[in-house]
Amino acid sequence: MQVLRANNHTWRKTKSALASALTFVSAVLVIAPLGLVFFYVLKMGAGALSLDFFTHLPAPVGSSGGGMANAIIGTLELLALASAIGIPIGVLGGVYLAEYGSARGNAMLRFIADVLNGVPSITWGVVVYGLVVLRFKGFSAYAGGLALGLIMIPLILRTTEEVILLVPNGYREAALALGIARWKTIVHIVMKTASRGIITGILIALARIGGETAPLLFTAFGNHFWNHSLSEPIAALPLQIFTYAISPYDEWHRQAWAGALVLVTGVFCVNVLVRILTRQRTASA
Amino acid sequence: MTTVLMPSPDPVVFERRDRGIASSPEAEPASELAFAVKDLSMWYGSKRAIDKVTLDIPSKAVTAIIGPSGCGKSTFLRALNRMHELVPRTRIEGTVLLRGENLYANTIDSAVVRRRIGMVFQKSNPFPTMSIGENVIIGLRLNGVRDRRLLNEQLEKSLRMAALWDEVKDDLYKPGTSLSGGQQQRLCIARALAVEPEVILMDEPCSALDPIATAKIEELIHDLKKQYTIVIVTHNMQQAGRVSDYTAFFYMGRLIEFGLTTKIFTNPSQRQTEDYITGRFG
Amino acid sequence: MTQPKHILGTFDQALATLRNDVLMMAGLAERSLDRALKGLLQRDDNLCATAIADDEEIDQLEKQIDKDGVDILLRYQPVASDLRRVISAMKLSPNIERVGDQATSIARRARKLNGHPVLPEVEWIFPIQKHAMAMFKDSIDAFVREDVDLARAVVGRDNELDDMNRTANRKLTELMAQNPDQLRGYLNLIFVSRCLERVGDHATNISEDAVYAAAAEDIRHQTFAASS
Repeated sequence: MQVLRANNHTWRKTKSALASALTFVSAVLVIAPLGLVFFYVLKMGAGALSLDFFTHLPAPVGSSGGGMANAIIGTLELLALASAIGIPIGVLGGVYLAEYGSARGNAMLRFIADVLNGVPSITWGVVVYGLVVLRFKGFSAYAGGLALGLIMIPLILRTTEEVILLVPNGYREAALALGIARWKTIVHIVMKTASRGIITGILIALARIGGETAPLLFTAFGNHFWNHSLSEPIAALPLQIFTYAISPYDEWHRQAWAGALVLVTGVFCVNVLVRILTRQRTASA
Repeated sequence: MTTVLMPSPDPVVFERRDRGIASSPEAEPASELAFAVKDLSMWYGSKRAIDKVTLDIPSKAVTAIIGPSGCGKSTFLRALNRMHELVPRTRIEGTVLLRGENLYANTIDSAVVRRRIGMVFQKSNPFPTMSIGENVIIGLRLNGVRDRRLLNEQLEKSLRMAALWDEVKDDLYKPGTSLSGGQQQRLCIARALAVEPEVILMDEPCSALDPIATAKIEELIHDLKKQYTIVIVTHNMQQAGRVSDYTAFFYMGRLIEFGLTTKIFTNPSQRQTEDYITGRFG
Repeated sequence: MTQPKHILGTFDQALATLRNDVLMMAGLAERSLDRALKGLLQRDDNLCATAIADDEEIDQLEKQIDKDGVDILLRYQPVASDLRRVISAMKLSPNIERVGDQATSIARRARKLNGHPVLPEVEWIFPIQKHAMAMFKDSIDAFVREDVDLARAVVGRDNELDDMNRTANRKLTELMAQNPDQLRGYLNLIFVSRCLERVGDHATNISEDAVYAAAAEDIRHQTFAASS
C-alpha cells in the first residue's frame, strides 16, 4: 500500500493546490481585460458625457461642446437596414439548413457560412464599395446597411440552424402526426419553440455589427450632420469615434471616449438581455 | 305523433346481442376491419426493415404489436400513418388499406392520412410553448378551425375522453409541461383525439411511466376502444396481455403470428412466438 | 422437450423445482399405493403402517407445490407453455394427494382384513390394482414427458377399470349373500376395489391436465357434451 503513504498524500495535495492556483490566475487574466476596458472607458469618457452628447450635432473644430446625436441615430438606422437584410435571409437560411435540403448541399452551405464568418469585416466594406458605392457613385446608408447585413447573414444563419436542430424531433413528429402541414409545423411549432434561441442569435449578431467600423469606412462613410436620405452618407458611432480618435484635437478625443462608452454600454446591455433570454429558456426547458 | 306509438327498440336486447358476439372466445376476427395490410415491405436505404407483412387489423379493438427491439414493430406502426416518410431514404412496397382506401395512393396527402390516424409516442411531448388548452386544440387550429365555440367544445370533450378533464380543468392556461409524466401522456392522447381520428397508434406509450400512471393509460385504452381502433406497440408483454384483444408478434421484420391475445399468450402456434413470450430468446 | 432455456436462469430453476416436486409427490403416492396393496396381498401390517404414515409427506408436498406455483406466477408471470405447466402442476397435485388418500384407505382396510383369516377373493383385487397403478404411473409420465398421446390413452383406459370394479362389486355382493359370516371381509374388499377405481379417476384427471399442459387443449367433459 505504498501509494497511500502520508507524505505522498501531502505532495498530491500540494500539486492540487498549485493547479487550482494556476487556473485561478488564468481566470483572472480572462476577466481583467473586460474590467480594464470598462474602467478605462468609464474614466476617460464619463467626463465628456452629458445630455448634449445625446442631443447635439458635433461642434465645429475649435469650439467646445456638441455631441454625437447624429451618429447614435445613424448607427440605429444602419442596424435597422442591416437587420432588414440579415434577419430574414439568415433566419430563413438557417431554417432551410435545419429542416430541408440534402445532407451534401447542407454541408457545403454550412462550410460556406463558416468561411464567411471568418472573413475580415473590412473585406465586406471593400466588396460593397466595389459593387454598390462605385456603381451608384456615392457613399450611402444603404451601402453601409448592406455591408453590415452581409456580415449578419452567416452569423444568424448558423445560430438559427443550431437552435432549430436543438428542438427535439418529438415535437415535429407530434405535430405532423396531427395532420399539420410541414411548413405550419416548422413555423408554429419548431420556430416557436426555438424563438428565444433565434432572437438570442439575432441580438448577438446585432451586438457584433454594432461596433463594426471597417466595413463602414467605404460605405456609410460618415457625416457630421443629420442625415436626410438613406441614399446619402450617414454617421455611425464607431465611425465617429474613429475619426475623432485620430484627430489632433483634445476636445474630440474626449468626445471619442464618450462615444466609446456609449457603444460599450449598448453592447453590454444587449449581452445582458441575451443572458436573461437564455436563462429563461433553460429554466423552462 | 307517430313516434309515441312506435315501439322503441329495447336497448337491453341490443346489448345482449352485441355481447353474444363479442364474448364467444374462440371466434376469429369476425368484426369489421380497420386496416388491411398486404405484402408490406419497407427499406431504410438498402436495409429491409419490414418483410412482406400481411395483416388485417380489426376495427374498434386493441391490437398489440410485440417483438424484440429492431424487429420492425415501430417501423410497421409508422408505416400505418406514413410517419416513416419523415425518415429520408425509406422505400415502401405493398398496400395499406384503411376501410378499403389505399393510404399510399398518389392522390392522398400524408397530412390527411395522419388526421385520420392519430399517434401517441413513447416520450410524452406536449408542445413546450403552449398551455394545456392550446396543446389540445393546436391540431384543429393549425388545420384551419377558427370557431372559438367549437374549439372549446373539442377541448373539453377531448380532455374528458382522455380522463384528464377533472385534473386540469382549472389549469388550462398552465404550460403543458407543468403536468406529471402520466398526465402529459394523457394530454398527448387528448391532443390526438381532438382532431377526431379513426385510429390511434401508440408507440410504447407507457415505457417512461410508473405503474400507476401506466394503469391509468391502460384503463383509458380500454375505454377508448369502444370508439376507436387502437394499435399499440409495447415491450411489456404483461401490458399486451392486459390491454389488447389481438396480438401480432414481429421478428426480424416479419410477422410471425397474429391472433387473439388469449390464444397467443396461452398457446401460440409458432415456436418463435413461444420462445419470445416465455423469455427464451438467446 | 428440447425447448431452449430461459434467459432468466432462476425461472428455469423454479420450473424445475416445481416439476421435481410433482415427480416426488407422485413417486411417494405410487409407493404408498404399492405398499398398501402389498400389505393386503402379503398380509403385512407393517407395510400398511408405512403407507399410512407416508401420507403426511404427500400432503406437505401438495402444499409445497401450491406455494411454488403461486411464487412462480407472482415472480415470473409465466405465459404460454410455462403458464400451462404451472397451472397444470397446481391442478394435478390435489389429484396425487387424493391417490395418496386412497392408499391410506386401502392400507386401513388391509389391516382390518389382515386381522381375519385369508379370503381367497383377495386375488380378484390383483388385476384391478395392476390396471389402476399403470394408469396412475402413465398419467404422471404423460405429464412429465408432455406426451399427449399417452395421456389420451390413459383417459380411454378408465372405462375398463370401471368395468373391472363393477364386476368385482357384483361378484362380491353375490358372495356376501351366500356367506353372510364373511360380510365384513367382502365389504372391505369392495371398498379396496372402489379405492382403486378412484385412483383411475384421479389418473384420468391428471392426464387431462397433462394434455392441457402439453397441447393447450381442454379435453374434460367432452364425452358428456358429445353424448347429450
